[in-house]
Amino acid sequence: MKRFRFIIGTLIFSVMFNNVMADNAAEVKDIVVVVNKDNPVEAMSRSQIIDLFMGKYVAFPDGQVAVPIDLTGNDSTKRLFYQSLVGMSLARVNSYWSRIRFTGRARPSVKQSTEDDIILYVSETKNAIGYISRSKLTDQVKVVYPFYE
Amino acid sequence: MNRSGLLFRLAVVMVFASTIVVFISAQLFYRLTYLNEVEFANKEISQLYHTVSATASIAAYLNDTELAKEVANGLATNGVVHGVKITTENSVISSTVVSDNEPLVFTLNSPFEKNREVGKLAIIPDLKHIENRAKDIGEANAKALIAQASVVTIVAIFIAYILITRPMINIAANLHDTMPGTPHRLPVPDFHENSELGKLVRDINELLKQTESQISEERVLRKEMEILEKRFRMLFENSASPIVLMEPRGSILLHNDAFTQMLNKVGVRFKTNLGPLLSELLDTPEQLIKSVKSAFENDEIATGEYKLINQTSSGDKKQNSLWTQIVVTSIVSDDLKEYYQLTLHDISRRKKELEQLSLKINYDHLTQLQSRHAVEKMMLEYISSHKSFAYILIDLNGFKQVNDVYGHDAGNEILIYISSQLKKSIRHDDIVCRWGGDEFALMLADTSIQGVKVTLEKILAKINKNYYLSKYDKNIAIGASMGVSFYPRDAKDMQTLIGMADDAMYAVKRKSDSNGAGENEKSGLMFATEPVK
Repeated sequence: MKRFRFIIGTLIFSVMFNNVMADNAAEVKDIVVVVNKDNPVEAMSRSQIIDLFMGKYVAFPDGQVAVPIDLTGNDSTKRLFYQSLVGMSLARVNSYWSRIRFTGRARPSVKQSTEDDIILYVSETKNAIGYISRSKLTDQVKVVYPFYE
Repeated sequence: MNRSGLLFRLAVVMVFASTIVVFISAQLFYRLTYLNEVEFANKEISQLYHTVSATASIAAYLNDTELAKEVANGLATNGVVHGVKITTENSVISSTVVSDNEPLVFTLNSPFEKNREVGKLAIIPDLKHIENRAKDIGEANAKALIAQASVVTIVAIFIAYILITRPMINIAANLHDTMPGTPHRLPVPDFHENSELGKLVRDINELLKQTESQISEERVLRKEMEILEKRFRMLFENSASPIVLMEPRGSILLHNDAFTQMLNKVGVRFKTNLGPLLSELLDTPEQLIKSVKSAFENDEIATGEYKLINQTSSGDKKQNSLWTQIVVTSIVSDDLKEYYQLTLHDISRRKKELEQLSLKINYDHLTQLQSRHAVEKMMLEYISSHKSFAYILIDLNGFKQVNDVYGHDAGNEILIYISSQLKKSIRHDDIVCRWGGDEFALMLADTSIQGVKVTLEKILAKINKNYYLSKYDKNIAIGASMGVSFYPRDAKDMQTLIGMADDAMYAVKRKSDSNGAGENEKSGLMFATEPVK
């Protein structure tokens, strides 16, 4: 686990270093996965998050349908999220999706252009799940998986 | 080609051996190749796994049958893959073929979490394909081996032929053509001066040399023996005396020509057995057998004179009778067998001469009367056996004058005449002989004085008759004086008897001379001692 964290840390560091010109360093560091406040799910494992976002499952562990929300474009938070989650660049994530496209599975269908839009959407949709920078976190949503720690 | 020849055997053995080697090494190669191929296939399969692992992981992660099928089909197009099976925690996604072959199982991890196992990829290797590949390689290998082994075998046979077989065959052929005892020697094969074959040839030559010298020595010896034998045979064959070598029981082993000639002379056909010691040939064989026995008992050579039987048809057997001196020698051979050697010397002539000599001694040639010697012998015999007899000495009167006047022929004629008269006058047992000159002697078995007197007077009367000498046409008057002595009455020994008869005879002669009468009247007889009347 220590080793894993080290790897993740290294990855994050390298990503942070790459984006130091464009983004705030504090934002880069902390990403949280959030759900609607009414969602009974209190916490999720990383694998459960991967399964939802990489198309394996379309439901929360308690059985209710989940609606994952992605960021559009080449957003740095999106990049950081996938990097932190599965250790892949966006390009590789895209290639993953294109490889399995004909099998009928689909990447998250709901897309928002900003983190604020995600917060809004999640707060209004009961079974939505999304990711935002920790700095953007508000009371409107509930954190089920924090990437820091 | 000789099927038990060296080269053929060598070739067969080498071909056989190389076949076995090829067979075994081909098998071994095939095994190794097969194992290699299996290993190679495993490597290939694990490479294949690496190629498809990403996709397979995704398929397993998403439980995606279509993707899994794609992966499986893709893998199955590969030759070494017989079947593919992708399994996740709860289900089998894809399985192309079911097989008993042991699958190679790879763990499929989540494409996102390297430590999260999402399924397994089992690839079943196509053993048949591997086997075929191994077989192909093995076959090629075997072919190469066969080719190589054939070349090596042929070269080995060729070298063995050149180096060993051919020289040995040559040696054998040369030895086969070699006659022991000749100066012929085997040539040492090329390049084998110092090898075992060269040594073998030299040893054989040494052996041949020794054999030759031995044989030539033997030849010289044999020649000497032959010469010796020839001489012995010559000695034997040309011996004038018949020689016979026989077994004690009578089988004749050897005989010479002289023996055959002797048999011809006595008219006996040759047989291999003429009885022990040629007894069938002898007149008195028991005598010879006895003498041989006693001689051999005293370790001496038996010898004696024996008359042979005569079976010739010619009448005069006495004339042809053969006398032989037989010498019998006992020979004991090295193997302790006893043989008799009989030499028969023909002594017939000597015997005849002796007979004639004895006749001459005992007979008077002119008168055909016995000689004085015969009478003396007879007298001695009588005396020794104490038989009585009368001895009469007769001396003719007037004979000397006849001899002087008419010659010896006339004298002889008268002597022959008187002899025949005397012979006629005596009995069978009596003997008359010419004592010498004009003297005769009588030996009469009759010992009575009267009988003697009658006989003598009869004789006197015959002598006193005139003899007609035809040649001279004359009557000759011959008289005789007789003196008589008796054994054993007058004397016991011959000389005294003769002397007494002589004295008596001369007494008669003196009496008649003094009478002066004619020759006839002078005749008379006187007893040595007057008989008792």
